[in-house]
Amino acid sequence: MSIMEYNGAAVVAMVGKNCVAIGADKRLGQQSLTVSTDFPKIFTMTDKTMIGLAGLATDVLTLRDQFRLKTKLYQLEENRVIEPQTFANMVSSTLYSKRFGPYFIEPVVAGLDKHDKPFICSMDTIGCINFAKDFVVAGTAGGNLYGMCESLWEPDLEPEDLFETVSQALLNAVDRNCLSGWGAVVHIITPDKVVTRSLKARMD
Amino acid sequence: MLSEIVAQYSNDAALTAGSAHTGSSGLLGRDFAKMTNDLIFDLPNTQDPAEFLNTYTDVDSSADNQIKFAHGTTTLGFKYDDGVVICTDSRASQGSVIASQSVKKVIEINPYLLGTMAGGAADCQFWERELGRRCRLYELRNKERISVAAASKLLGNMVYSYKGMGLSMGTMISGWDKMGPSLFYVDNDGTRLRGDLFSVGSGSTFAYGILDSAYDAGLQKNDAIELGRRAIYHAAHRDAFSGGSVRVYHINEDGWEFISLTDFDDLHWDYTDRANRAT
Amino acid sequence: MTDRYSFSLTTFSPSGKLGQIEHALQAVSNGVTSVGIKAANGIVIATEKKTVSTLVDSSSLEKVSTICPSIGMVYSGMGPDSRVLINKGRKSALAYRSVYKEDPPVAILVKEVAGVMQEFTQSGGVRPFGVSLLIAGYDQKGPALYQVDPSGSYFAWKATAIGKNMINANSFLEKRFNEEMELEDAVHTAILTLKEGFEGQITEDTIEIGIIGGSAAVSATGEPLPFAFKKLTPAEVKDYLANIA
Repeated sequence: MSIMEYNGAAVVAMVGKNCVAIGADKRLGQQSLTVSTDFPKIFTMTDKTMIGLAGLATDVLTLRDQFRLKTKLYQLEENRVIEPQTFANMVSSTLYSKRFGPYFIEPVVAGLDKHDKPFICSMDTIGCINFAKDFVVAGTAGGNLYGMCESLWEPDLEPEDLFETVSQALLNAVDRNCLSGWGAVVHIITPDKVVTRSLKARMD
Repeated sequence: MLSEIVAQYSNDAALTAGSAHTGSSGLLGRDFAKMTNDLIFDLPNTQDPAEFLNTYTDVDSSADNQIKFAHGTTTLGFKYDDGVVICTDSRASQGSVIASQSVKKVIEINPYLLGTMAGGAADCQFWERELGRRCRLYELRNKERISVAAASKLLGNMVYSYKGMGLSMGTMISGWDKMGPSLFYVDNDGTRLRGDLFSVGSGSTFAYGILDSAYDAGLQKNDAIELGRRAIYHAAHRDAFSGGSVRVYHINEDGWEFISLTDFDDLHWDYTDRANRAT
Repeated sequence: MTDRYSFSLTTFSPSGKLGQIEHALQAVSNGVTSVGIKAANGIVIATEKKTVSTLVDSSSLEKVSTICPSIGMVYSGMGPDSRVLINKGRKSALAYRSVYKEDPPVAILVKEVAGVMQEFTQSGGVRPFGVSLLIAGYDQKGPALYQVDPSGSYFAWKATAIGKNMINANSFLEKRFNEEMELEDAVHTAILTLKEGFEGQITEDTIEIGIIGGSAAVSATGEPLPFAFKKLTPAEVKDYLANIA
């Protein structure tokens, strides 16, 4: 049994034209048993930065709280909102600080920087950052997501089209993965607002 | 004439005779012993083949060099006054990947016998087809249909001769014979149980939960079918390794009847709509 | 009576003062003058470099220090004390960089260094630093100039001077400073400020200058930095001096 597959997750982020999207499934399982179908894996860090945490659920909660604390302290200390890239670096160093006893989490960061330029990246459990211009994935459906994104993604998608692309990628990926799915949520971050939509998905 | 045909097929059954159980005789005639106990497959050429294979096929071991079998499934069957209901899901998984959502886990052995499939798909398919063949031979030989009890015992004896060598199957053999509706559980350990209600597979606990809460031998046919369908539905919902579609069969004195094949998604929204309307 | 409140750093006098801190400030006033000026497109810090003998190789002295690519520091007061703070400042900037992979904003670095200085006014068995600092940096908000005192208090300035001649220098700056001043102009003003009450000849060997602005630079990881702190070479200082003369 892999600890990375204990709870199950699917997280994906994509870059569009002046916007980014981040989506995740809703399942919380204990191996084969589906415990909850409303378990959030994406968290708002600033107005324009979100983080998706795929992996061990207990670490999802711990890191969510820790990153929230750190971004708020940053804001108080420095009187400015943390940039997505800076936030990603902070996440990375937090993970590496537990190099020899890691959090079992693969994070995905998505946001718009102060010039509203899209930023996405993903990381492994010990904080090696993968900066991507197109899309990043994580979780037990990661392989499936890569396949979907590779065929569906195209550059410069408008927010609505990006939403459709992320949603289709996510839904079809989890439909071929036992440990994720049972509903999904997608956030579209644009310069002036964040749109959040829940997706109807197969419940088996 | 008939005996020639029987002899021909009987010989074919012994494709390759293994060494462990050849020449077994006893109370049963030699032909019958051949039908039940002869080994069809080559075994590893060691002192103790079961011991040898156990190292590589023990399903409870987590070693890397193992032949692993997918176990994700929910199947159920129950007997009631008017017959037997058999329901299965249709998912096949390889690790956490869903390999198929359209597997047929009900095996139609003959018009009066059904087998279900859980564990290794190949094992179930092969041995239940082999069971079908042997049941047909029985019919030709005895000019009457084999009882469900005898058929299930045939299967049980066949897999028992390979005990410990890595066969993986948890099956229910059901049908209608002179005694009326009948249901047996047979698995690769050689366990064979008669019962009114069984569920097999990773989702079986969930299915049992639903079945036990509403099962009654006096159920109407429609209600019985709906109970089976609902039990599979709930198991597919909670069990990660079950899902796809719900397949339902019904057995009465005329043999089995295919009832329905419903995609889980359609069932789910149908059930939730109904629940919403009720509240 | 006064002695009773000056032997221990952590004891207030009845008037509410910590004698040792006042004394530390006096040590700063004994040190040579340093000056800092914020320009529209950059920033300059400068100081005198006084040697006890003409035989000292003045090129080995370093009073203006780089803390991180975007921040520099100069001090007035006791040289050895300043080195402790420079080390702490550099380590703090590095620690920030190891977390965020970028240089700290000037205010953050100042806060860190000032925190260290404050600690030395409240801990047992230590004395305050005999230095005041001018910390100059360039961050996302533009150029920034801070003065940090032995007490740990700090102030942001458009232009200021510390050390022996600070009173005269400050009134000179008040007259000369304007907000539209360009970096070149600010460097000239800084030199002229030091010239006020300078003992002896002002040469490229007797002053040190650090600037931020003008040319673009590259960070350790290769990203282009809009501005980086840079110490002027004696040759560059000489050019500026020639322009003034």
